[in-house]
Amino acid sequence: MSHRQSQANPWPHMFLVGLAGWIIPGGGYLLMKEISRGLIILVTIVLMFGLGLYIGSIGAVDPIGAQLWYVVQMMSSPLVAIIGNQTAGGGYPVYGRPNEMAQIYTSAAGLLNLLCIVNSMYLAYLRKTGPVEQ
Amino acid sequence: MFEPAAIVMANFTAPEAIGTTAQSLLLLLPVVAAIAVVYKATKVPTISAGNFLKESVVLFCSIVVFMVVTALVLSGVAWLVLE
Repeated sequence: MSHRQSQANPWPHMFLVGLAGWIIPGGGYLLMKEISRGLIILVTIVLMFGLGLYIGSIGAVDPIGAQLWYVVQMMSSPLVAIIGNQTAGGGYPVYGRPNEMAQIYTSAAGLLNLLCIVNSMYLAYLRKTGPVEQ
Repeated sequence: MFEPAAIVMANFTAPEAIGTTAQSLLLLLPVVAAIAVVYKATKVPTISAGNFLKESVVLFCSIVVFMVVTALVLSGVAWLVLE
């Protein structure tokens, strides 16, 4: 990767883009006025997460019994913590294949959003900086 | 007034019945579709409906074909080991 320079510090903008992308999937792109890209990501990740919850119920978000899955699910959005707060008492038990499928769907949504967060932050970095003149 | 919302919410509080059948493998397809769409949304320089759709479909088909080939190879290996 070539060296890049910037007159202003790019990190605050990159952090803001990353944070927006975490709070709302695709939000980082929306913040950079990449509307169609952001909307595609928003709809796809929300649908995927929602489909996972439909298959396995909200019990698939389990901050007590499935902590590692929960960490990955949280990458979709911090709003997942609201669901985790509801299910932490064990009131929505789910076992077997539905649980596996729901965790795969919701965790894949989280990992895809992580990809989008990193990519949007890199795009923000590229826009805030320019190549070093030789 | 709140009945439709309650019905929708109820669908998310009880798991669906999914058996360990061959048909349940079809649940792989929505995941692959989502991966293909999101990945291409991050990689395509400019998004136009036709080009984006084409790129996503190609990636979707590539992943599915690769997984089918992998499944066939693994089945073949298992058959050789067991026979």
